[in-house]
Amino acid sequence: MEFTPVKDLTYNQAVSELDSILRTMQSDACDIDKLAAYTRRASELLRECRRRLTATDEELKSILADLENQ
Amino acid sequence: MSVAAVKATDTGGVPALTLRELNRRIAGQLAVPSLQNVWVVAELSDVRQSGGHCYFELIDKNESTGIVDARLRGIIWASVFPQLSARFSAYTGQRLATGLKVMVRGSVNYHAAYGMSFVVNAIDPSFTMGDIERRRREILKRLEAEGILELNRSLEWNCPTLRIAVVSAPGAAGYGDFINQLYSNGSRLRFVTRLFPAVMQGERTAASVIDALDEINSQVDDWDCVVIIRGGGATSDLVSFDNYELAANVAQFPLPVIVGIGHERDVTVLDYIANMRVKTPTAAAEWLIGQAQEALDNLRVIASDMLRAVNDKLGGCATQLAYIEGQLPVAPAAAVERARSRLHQASVSLVSASSGRLAPELARLRQMPQAIGVAVHNLLSRHCDRLDAKRSLLDALSPMATLRRGYTITRVNGKAVTSVSDLAAGAVIVTSVHDGTVESTVTTLNPQK
Repeated sequence: MEFTPVKDLTYNQAVSELDSILRTMQSDACDIDKLAAYTRRASELLRECRRRLTATDEELKSILADLENQ
Repeated sequence: MSVAAVKATDTGGVPALTLRELNRRIAGQLAVPSLQNVWVVAELSDVRQSGGHCYFELIDKNESTGIVDARLRGIIWASVFPQLSARFSAYTGQRLATGLKVMVRGSVNYHAAYGMSFVVNAIDPSFTMGDIERRRREILKRLEAEGILELNRSLEWNCPTLRIAVVSAPGAAGYGDFINQLYSNGSRLRFVTRLFPAVMQGERTAASVIDALDEINSQVDDWDCVVIIRGGGATSDLVSFDNYELAANVAQFPLPVIVGIGHERDVTVLDYIANMRVKTPTAAAEWLIGQAQEALDNLRVIASDMLRAVNDKLGGCATQLAYIEGQLPVAPAAAVERARSRLHQASVSLVSASSGRLAPELARLRQMPQAIGVAVHNLLSRHCDRLDAKRSLLDALSPMATLRRGYTITRVNGKAVTSVSDLAAGAVIVTSVHDGTVESTVTTLNPQK
């Protein structure tokens, strides 16, 4: 299965892929052969999203702190 | 008598007058009631003060050409000038200045050394007021007819308005007030100003302000607005601003113009056409600060809205990720479990489906042998019957039946004898009867005759 490298995805793309994988997993159409690959991919996406969210949060806090100081 | 009166040879005996005498006579001629205490309507020009007295020219201009076609020197003596001037200013909001139309009362006076002048002892300020109003109305009407009256008023303001081109007289109190007010604002707003110096009173005002506006227009991208200000005294020379050329320039100026050139009751044409009119230079600064402050407050609101939006968004993202994170460890196992249960379901279904299909087949198979037996028996008996029938027929047709009735068959050498000619004497013949054969030897032949 060919996946886009997570670094090349936007946050929204990553989350929507994550969401779609999860929905596939929860549906009856889930292909057991692909389950391991899906799970690996999902966990990779999740880690990346989590990382970006944290980084964004910190960056925003610093920007907003600047804003308050102006 | 003077020396001049002595020599009278060229005058036919009439003695020549001295200039002093001539002037005395002129003065005498002028001292008539019709030239004393008369009301005169004229325009003021070259107004100046000296030693408490006020000197000016009274002029009349040709309506169409603008050329001065009447002129008389005017004086208001220091004894009455302060009183006349104060009353005039209080009424018109305007001091006596060049360009004003006035109605003055005075007397023609002829001074031997200074010539003729009109000594003013009263002024009717309502006439001037009416004239100023009329002139303003004419200018406004012309601007309206040309479709430019509203142009500056309808300009949009750059937001925030921080780059301000100031047209004022350098060193004027009003300019200082404006700058002080602007730069001592409590919000640390960073205004940028530049003075474009102009003469702010007298005849040169309009041309000078227009020059300053032209200068600003040549660098129009550097500025957000123009402020035309002047230190307001109790009264000021506002007529200089009631000028068509200046008004047309301001009306069509590409940046919004704020005018602060007088106090409340000093309303000029510019006050009607400028985008913003304030009473004083200080008020102009306050207005600009207010605008910028509003923009700043607006920014603060945006900033706090943004903060909230960002927090909401981040919070939403975090919740969504947490949900996915919670689901992810469960989902694959659940999927496998579902697949397994589906398999089980499938096998159960398979069994029930196949057994359902087999039972009737087996039943059919079980009945098969008996059916086959019956069918074979029926078939055989049908064939036996048919054979029996055939045998009867065969019996009926067989030569044996004929033989039994007494007929025989005679064969010679295996061939049936049907004619005498088939035989010769001595031949051995075999005669078949129904229950055997008889061999005989032919002895006699008797052919039929």
